[in-house]
Amino acid sequence: MSRTLLLIDDDDDIREIAQLSLELNAGWTILAASSGAEGIEIARAKRPDAILLDVMMPVLDGPTTLAQLRDDERTKSIPVLFLTAKARPAERDRLAGLDVAGVLAKPFDPMTLADQVQTALGWRA
Amino acid sequence: MSEDDAIKVAMAAIWERSRDVILGRVAVLEGAVLSLLAGDLAPDSRRHAEREAHKLAGTVGTFGFWDASKLAHEAEELLAGSEPISPADVMRLSHLSVQLRRQLERSAEEANASAEATADEADGPRPKLVVIGESQEFRDRMVSEARSIGVEVIGVEAANDAMGVLAAANAVVVDLAAPGAGSGFLEQLHATHPTLPVVVISSGDVFQDRVDAARRGGRGFLQTPVRPAQIFDVLRDALVVSRDDKPTIVAVDDDPTVLAVMDDLLGPTGARVVKCAEPLRALSFLVEHAPDLVILDVDMPELNGIELCRVLRNDPRWASVPILFLTAQVDAENVTRMFEAGADDFVGKPVLGPELVARVRNRLERTRMLRLAADVDSLTGVATRRRGIEVLDRYFRLAQRQRQPISIAAIDIDHFKQVNDRHGHLVGDMVLRRVAGLLAGFFRGEDIVARWGGEEFVVGMYAMPADAAQRRLETALATLRDEVFEAGDSTLSVAFSAGVAEFPKDGDEWTALYRVADAALAQAKATGRNRIIRAGAEQPTGGTD
Repeated sequence: MSRTLLLIDDDDDIREIAQLSLELNAGWTILAASSGAEGIEIARAKRPDAILLDVMMPVLDGPTTLAQLRDDERTKSIPVLFLTAKARPAERDRLAGLDVAGVLAKPFDPMTLADQVQTALGWRA
Repeated sequence: MSEDDAIKVAMAAIWERSRDVILGRVAVLEGAVLSLLAGDLAPDSRRHAEREAHKLAGTVGTFGFWDASKLAHEAEELLAGSEPISPADVMRLSHLSVQLRRQLERSAEEANASAEATADEADGPRPKLVVIGESQEFRDRMVSEARSIGVEVIGVEAANDAMGVLAAANAVVVDLAAPGAGSGFLEQLHATHPTLPVVVISSGDVFQDRVDAARRGGRGFLQTPVRPAQIFDVLRDALVVSRDDKPTIVAVDDDPTVLAVMDDLLGPTGARVVKCAEPLRALSFLVEHAPDLVILDVDMPELNGIELCRVLRNDPRWASVPILFLTAQVDAENVTRMFEAGADDFVGKPVLGPELVARVRNRLERTRMLRLAADVDSLTGVATRRRGIEVLDRYFRLAQRQRQPISIAAIDIDHFKQVNDRHGHLVGDMVLRRVAGLLAGFFRGEDIVARWGGEEFVVGMYAMPADAAQRRLETALATLRDEVFEAGDSTLSVAFSAGVAEFPKDGDEWTALYRVADAALAQAKATGRNRIIRAGAEQPTGGTD
């Protein structure tokens, strides 16, 4: 079945590549936002099946965006995956300890991103 | 083509587009290392460099540069925190930044090299044309026709299949009979890729189809049956140099959120937008990108827009480039200050898209007209030498990146002085016009034909090897020889001599290549004129006296 996934990342390239690879490899419908605020707005309006959220963004960073998503009835139960270039285990553990379904590493391999997302979300049959 | 291939193609296009920005990040790192070596890296600059390293670490691996990603990550770690960086770590950072640049620059070349190896012909990344059509036979014909002119065709059966590959495309052909390819699709295409040239094919001459196509940015409208050559005629410029023929705008603003929306705001102008977030580096951006227009924010902390504008106006290179200000204050005093500093126009903040687009379009159009006057030789209608040099410069940069050959021909009309002496200057002018027209007609739209001076012409042929260039010149010469010019009561016929040289074989700068072509021309003159000599070739070809 077709799923809808919201991608929030301030890097245009990353957004474009992730969108391409998820659309083509997994056949999901991808919504994209370039800031936390825009992402929250789209999440409320479109209720995606999951959200892929960049950690380091100006103004609203990933964790703050996550907190606001969790504070809203419409978005509180949408599974979120962090996307982060922070490689330190302590940092990753801290992120994983927040209310998320998983933490994916940046840079990602566009050929396997869809697999990683499916595995982390338990979408595999 | 498989999904993976589609992703690879798209990624290559994104990389090509983003490479300068990414190397700009490396430059920030390099700047920080220089300051560290000098012992004066400001905390702000250190944070900035750390952020850039972080972005590099997170991005470049996605493009396949995994080692570079690790280097950037190590640099980010070394720059983190606020305690002084030890001399050993400074040396390490210096090493990392050098390695980073080397890898990203070399890797891009390697990526190109491997793309070449898999391409049908070993000629580097080629322009891509997406063809949406139900008929396999039609798509196959497009593929084989495209190959001969160095274009890669990505054929898809239905409109839906095209969306994923459009990002990498230079142009698209839509057969309205393909599944899902109605006017709704054209609309979507126009909304998502407003500058992508589109050719629409329809089975009947339905007027509404034509209107729909034109409204949605259609470049051409063709009726079936369509020959591939017709399509390539319409799209030739788009497929060969459109990306590099776009006007360039450099936008300087210290506010990343303003810069971030520039692409979207300026999208409708069709210009390429280069964003510069550091006013202090604006000059190097200008040198690198030679913009057709500069957008400056007035209020920037390090170097405000007014000061920057004065600096530009005092530099002969930028004295005449249009400058448009963005400002939150549009009071009379501030406006006067902007115009006194040399501004051409301004737009108030918050920036409204349509207003900005209209003003930018205006300026670009004006510049284009002024350029046209300086670019076109008034007697013959071909390019001036000035314009020729500009285009050759650009072709060489493009050819070096895309690993394409370029041929240059130096052409001189034989015995032209005698034509003038015997028949008068009016006849001489007629001959010049005819030779120019003939050359312009024999070469492709993307080739540059310039009058170099007197009776000498130069033709620059992008992506054309010298032997093909020579064949074209031979045809042109044979045609010219067969023509009879009337001069009062008498008639005359005319011929030319030419020398041809090829990049990279005969030289790696256009100036060097021109010298080689000119030497071959001299040889053609010395061995009897009315012939074409290819540099390095033993035997002249062409006519006999």
